[in-house]
Amino acid sequence: MKLVIGGNAQGKLNYVLSKYHLQEEMVWDGVLPDHTVLQQRETMIMNHFHLWIRNCISNGGCPEDEILSLLDCHDNLIIISDEIGNGIVPLEPFEREYRERVGRILVRLAERAEEVERVICGIAQKIK
Amino acid sequence: MMILVIGGSGSGKSSYAEGLAVSLAESGNIKKYYLATMQVCDAEGRQKVERHRKLRSGKGFFTIEQPTEIHHSLEKMEQGERVVLLECISNLTANEMFSEGETKPEMQVVENVIRGIESLKRQVTHFIVVSNNVFEDGVIYDATTREYIHAIGKINQRLAALADQVVEVVVGIPVVI
Repeated sequence: MKLVIGGNAQGKLNYVLSKYHLQEEMVWDGVLPDHTVLQQRETMIMNHFHLWIRNCISNGGCPEDEILSLLDCHDNLIIISDEIGNGIVPLEPFEREYRERVGRILVRLAERAEEVERVICGIAQKIK
Repeated sequence: MMILVIGGSGSGKSSYAEGLAVSLAESGNIKKYYLATMQVCDAEGRQKVERHRKLRSGKGFFTIEQPTEIHHSLEKMEQGERVVLLECISNLTANEMFSEGETKPEMQVVENVIRGIESLKRQVTHFIVVSNNVFEDGVIYDATTREYIHAIGKINQRLAALADQVVEVVVGIPVVI
């Protein structure tokens, strides 16, 4: 699994598509890729990972368990997520929880990722 | 040596800073102090403190609660070599700025915090300061919050100038800047 992070609108998806010569059809946008599809394909991209976490929490799910168990079965995934923790503590309890959980999930994914890149202005810095 | 550790919410900056303090204290019989700045006023705050205590437990830190006037923590330390971890600048700044029902001016807050940090830096062996990146959420806040963000920005710049090393923690990964 590879992890690509960065602020909003930094060109993360375009960077990944061109680096790995992948088409838009390989992109799962804000949803977890399907098991059967992952078995058939070499590499899939999961974009807007942070939004998936947000929806998952809203629906009472546990994003930590879901993503880790998916990765236990399939490691051929490039996960793209916004960094959302670089701001003032939100007033709304849900927003605080969302922000903190995204941060901690990304720390865990970074630990198991074979590569972590941070994209700023379309330029990637390899940090792991 | 002074090291500034900066990161966003949930970035893993605390865990990294603790590891740093432990490794700096390893060479010799150096005492480790943790300066806690958070003023707990609700269940969520208590939970946060509890999480941090768990993270620190077994690492041999002596905790000093010092929500304001950070240099007074020196009076509570033993003499000799010591490694001090201060966490964190955003709480300290908020406590200095919004206490006793009034808002203190930005410049006064910046000077107070920096003076305290300078005297700690002079009197301890190794000093690790944890600060926050609160600058990139794109939200336009009210005047008071803007002043608070500005104060932290100025403090971070002064701390970076005082520090021997500045490390940004990104998804748990230290990036030296």
